[in-house]
Amino acid sequence: MGSPYLKTSYSDVNAILPRTYQKVLVTAALLLLLVAPFFASNFHVHLMNLGALATIGALALNLLTGFCGQISLGHAGFLAVGAFTTAILVVHLAAPFWSVVPVAGLAGALLGLLVGLPSLRFRGLYLAISTLAMHYAVGYAVKSYQANIGASATAGVSIPDPVLGPLVLSNDRVWYYFLLLMTGLVTLFCLNLLRTRLGRAWIAIRDRDIAAEALGIHIARYKLLAFVVSSTLTAMAGSLTAYYSNVVSADEFTLELAVTYLAMIIVGGMGSVLGSIFGAYFITLLPFAVDALFDMLPVAWRQGVQLVGFQSGAVGVFIILFLLLEPKGLAELWWRVEIYFERWPFKYRPLEPARR
Amino acid sequence: MEFVATFVVLASTYALLAAGIVILYRASRVLNFAHGELAIIGGYVFLSMTGFAGGSLPLAFAGALAVSLVTGIAIYVVVMKRLTGQPFYVAILVTIGIGILLKSLIIIVWRARATSIPIGSGTVLTFASGARMSQLDLATVLVAIAFYFGLYLFYRFSRLGIQARGTAENPLLASQRGVNVHFVLALSWAIAVLGASVAGILYGGRALLSPQGVVVGFSGLTAALVGGLDSLLGALLGSLIVALAEYLTIQYLDPILGEAVPFIILLLAMLLRPWGLFGTREEIERV
Repeated sequence: MGSPYLKTSYSDVNAILPRTYQKVLVTAALLLLLVAPFFASNFHVHLMNLGALATIGALALNLLTGFCGQISLGHAGFLAVGAFTTAILVVHLAAPFWSVVPVAGLAGALLGLLVGLPSLRFRGLYLAISTLAMHYAVGYAVKSYQANIGASATAGVSIPDPVLGPLVLSNDRVWYYFLLLMTGLVTLFCLNLLRTRLGRAWIAIRDRDIAAEALGIHIARYKLLAFVVSSTLTAMAGSLTAYYSNVVSADEFTLELAVTYLAMIIVGGMGSVLGSIFGAYFITLLPFAVDALFDMLPVAWRQGVQLVGFQSGAVGVFIILFLLLEPKGLAELWWRVEIYFERWPFKYRPLEPARR
Repeated sequence: MEFVATFVVLASTYALLAAGIVILYRASRVLNFAHGELAIIGGYVFLSMTGFAGGSLPLAFAGALAVSLVTGIAIYVVVMKRLTGQPFYVAILVTIGIGILLKSLIIIVWRARATSIPIGSGTVLTFASGARMSQLDLATVLVAIAFYFGLYLFYRFSRLGIQARGTAENPLLASQRGVNVHFVLALSWAIAVLGASVAGILYGGRALLSPQGVVVGFSGLTAALVGGLDSLLGALLGSLIVALAEYLTIQYLDPILGEAVPFIILLLAMLLRPWGLFGTREEIERV
């Protein structure tokens, strides 16, 4: 277990946390997350919840874009499908929470299959454009649905608090633990998926699809699977978000939202589970951080300044900066620190160990 | 004949945008997702310039065009130049980032105010065929035609234009033959942003400028795609098709659907002829 390079068994190779200090760090982080709500204010718990919801979406997008290399501008469309499946089931059928979320996932899977089809014909740029077209098709569909049931465009459809057995998820703190559990499960799911045949096939397709095919990987099947898995998770995240915010509105699912999710995986790190978590929290908290920075300025300077502009502009700046200066994102920064301490007092550059 | 006039004006705006998208794609294989933002911000810059120029329209126009040229060169030199050799999606994502940045600039500097540009639409001219066009509409069409004709002359006959075509075909060979590739690419960005700005100014003269207006960029993108991403003639034809479809939908079907028309055409184009009407077939990376 001493060196990260000396593997003496297959379980070493597959270990999610190979080093002792990593186990300690993760345990400490989990404990901190578990006790955090006892000390944090309501607002901070709310922010953490938003971050957790974004994490599920970002992980799903990273599976598709970061690991399988299929760029998607249609992430908001998948979220919309999840949210509106929830709205339809709750409003028309009064379906219970435990059944709605999986059905939303199923709806997402179907759409993912549909959207994945062009990926069999195109790659790269043209695939991105076809997902964009899907985004607008879904946007039109949900807008017409909302107009048809007579919900006003701004207010949207309201969703009651979900009931899970004896538990009513209404309080932000209850939600916190629920979302912590969900995010943890999805993270584990992704980490495990990437250690299997499926995950390795995706990475092979991303790195060089022709070589992957020569290795016997059925490209069409695995690409479609990437779309299906990603869109299932995303739709479930959309469904949870709808329950959490108690409202579904077609206006939320803009192209900006899709770009925000792309920003999360760019800033966090393409092809990194850890990066998805970092990026999701970073981009979610960014507008609030800008807000807090503004509050520190003298009042006279703040007058008449359009805060919204700075909040969205910050996202744009971080996308450009990370792509230009640190294309592997926050995860890479973290790993650099990790490697520094791991090697200390030596400074030699390590080989590239598999990082997730 | 009324409708011909309306849709030709619409098509001219799209054509100015599509030309820029095609120029950039040809020059550097970058699909610019910030084109709508560049157009709208061009309109806002013109609006501010009319203030600085004391109401003199030609002066304001010259000022706005100068700003757009500088913007285009700046985007290339500061950002896009560093992306050479990166995977294709990096460039797309960077242009999306630039788009977000420009949109927030509209909000910060111009307070996201929805305004029209007070250049007036001039007197309404009636043609022998019965079509009626305002002078502004006529100017829009003429500007688009002049822009395309200028581009044709530039790429066909001028030394720089031929260098630009060479760079588009093979940057490495071009640079070995003494073409200043960076200069040519910066010039492409300058021309593209110039076209977008002109489109934005003319758009603002007829409709309200607002941050929501950036969706015109997608009409331009669709037009470029329908025509073929590496063909200027295709961009012109694509603009006509998109504008016609949009006009007919709004007029005879559902006005809400009008917004979605470019994307429906986009889907159809992707299904039937993804390389576009005049595009090079090999351009598409098939799986």
